[in-house]
Amino acid sequence: MLYDALRFYPGGDRAIEVELGDGMDFTINFIVHRLVAAVRQAQIAAIQDLIPELASFQVNYDPDVMSYEDLCAEIGQIYEQLGRGVTGSLPSRLITIPVLYYDDETTACIDAYRKSYPDKVPDSDLICELNGLSDRAALMRRHSGTEYWVAALGFWPGLCSLLPLRPQCRIIAPKYNPPRTHTPKGAIGIGGALTCIYPDATPGGYQLIGHTPAPTYDGEQRLPDFKDSLALFRAGDRVRFAPVGAEEYRDIQAQVAEGTYRHDIIDYQVFSVDLYLDWAKAQEAAA
Amino acid sequence: MSRSFVTLKPGLQTCVQELPGRIGFLEQGFPLSGPFDSWSFRQANLLVGNDRDAAALECQFVGPTLKLDADCLVAVTGGDMRPTLDGSPIPMWTTVAAAAGQELALGAAMTGARAYIAISGGIATEPVLGSRAVFHQAGVGGRALVPGKVTPLGDATADRTVWTIPEESRPEFSRDKTWVVEALAGPNDDWLSPDTVQTFFSSDWRVQAKSSRTGIRLTGPEFAFSERATNKNADHGQDPSNIIDHGYPMGAVNLAGQTPIILVNDAPSTGGFINPFTVASAAFWKLAQAKPGEVLRFRRVDRDEAGVLRAALDMLTRPEVLQRA
Repeated sequence: MLYDALRFYPGGDRAIEVELGDGMDFTINFIVHRLVAAVRQAQIAAIQDLIPELASFQVNYDPDVMSYEDLCAEIGQIYEQLGRGVTGSLPSRLITIPVLYYDDETTACIDAYRKSYPDKVPDSDLICELNGLSDRAALMRRHSGTEYWVAALGFWPGLCSLLPLRPQCRIIAPKYNPPRTHTPKGAIGIGGALTCIYPDATPGGYQLIGHTPAPTYDGEQRLPDFKDSLALFRAGDRVRFAPVGAEEYRDIQAQVAEGTYRHDIIDYQVFSVDLYLDWAKAQEAAA
Repeated sequence: MSRSFVTLKPGLQTCVQELPGRIGFLEQGFPLSGPFDSWSFRQANLLVGNDRDAAALECQFVGPTLKLDADCLVAVTGGDMRPTLDGSPIPMWTTVAAAAGQELALGAAMTGARAYIAISGGIATEPVLGSRAVFHQAGVGGRALVPGKVTPLGDATADRTVWTIPEESRPEFSRDKTWVVEALAGPNDDWLSPDTVQTFFSSDWRVQAKSSRTGIRLTGPEFAFSERATNKNADHGQDPSNIIDHGYPMGAVNLAGQTPIILVNDAPSTGGFINPFTVASAAFWKLAQAKPGEVLRFRRVDRDEAGVLRAALDMLTRPEVLQRA
């Protein structure tokens, strides 16, 4: 649900949380990104960092340049001029990520956790149960049967929050409690209604369903697709997961090790929000 | 000839830091990093004639041993790690002239937890995403010092003036293992019961051993939640402390289940837990110097008072505080 007006919450003396709505969906997130882009364009001297998230964004600012009250008023005005309509088109890259679902490394990670917490239902079994899926194969079909919208990046360099664009492919899962202390680099996880790809070996809480050999973060910028940025994704990109077998998985691993791997990135497409929302509505009606 | 130093002993995760940190990349998930105690950090730089924000070393709990490859000025500030030059004790908070070939050694922190070493000319590592600040865990801007590593220094001026920071201008470390930390309510204080908000500001919070530049974990009373946390849209998650992923302000008291973690310089940029309180930016240095087992007491301030504290700290980290030794 989109709120009638922006809600501002102070985060200490140098940050503001701006909430636009109360829900995890494409429409709210799209408006977040459009507002953040407009705030960025306004080039307000006091703003040091902007962090767009799912239904909110954070502003880090210098309070000795502009007060909290003035900055909130300024952002409120920009929102008023922009309006709450969801329309228009934007360039959006489509990036295909190869995935080996239910691979050995992921299974070992889940088993290690279950040694400490034996009551934990294995991740894919739990997701199938909660989402009315008959088996792992059905889960894989549903997970790979949609494009995803890169809704936000954060928590760790290059870690993405992906929202499925096909309504029937929405999958929900609770997060680990307590969280894992280790997650393999490249693991694919589901938490809440989001999918993520772990860019590095980090702690984590999402339920794990597979692994990609294709890096989404390259601190050394070894691979050609990282020459302009350490992180692969940008907000507003779209992602598709392509199931691969063990042989192709190993082949990609070898190319990454050699430094020759090229990601499958299509960057000549424009994403029409109007056409997408009409399509999503028709999909939901048909379901 | 280019100036540098060699690390002989690394200490416990000694890292290059710089101000203002890595600005502009939080939206890609890169933390700000930068020195945890910017008060001590800036005074160290001032003592050796550097810009107060220049790159210098942050030492944590146990300091390093360095061999200086050039004549330079050094200054050690922050927690007392009993610095020596070629084995002879040198004063902290004071400029020390060192000659090429001398060894600067720091020990374990007697008071506080973090010390800073500034060297004239500043550290001249290659900036990554606009900053020399190190985010050790992900290797952004490099990692902690390792034995044998050669770290480049920038060019220094010929000025050899010996300065000191008078005691009244230095940060005052706790003598009774208790720190009063100024904090503001919000952004998510409305997710807690009003009683719990009161309790937060009137209780003792013990710093856990599992604390680092990512977060300071605290032990204290249980939290009770408000209607907003217990009766919410399912998208927020199951636990009362869950919220739809949002940005994490630096200094936020992040509540994961019942464990409060203060998010500091290398903390995650975003996540799915509420932040009911935020430490005032002028009090961050206290978090850097509080040791595991010590107690934090939060004093509630508003934005105006946080601004007064910020201005006072700014004045204390300007060249005017220097006195001739």
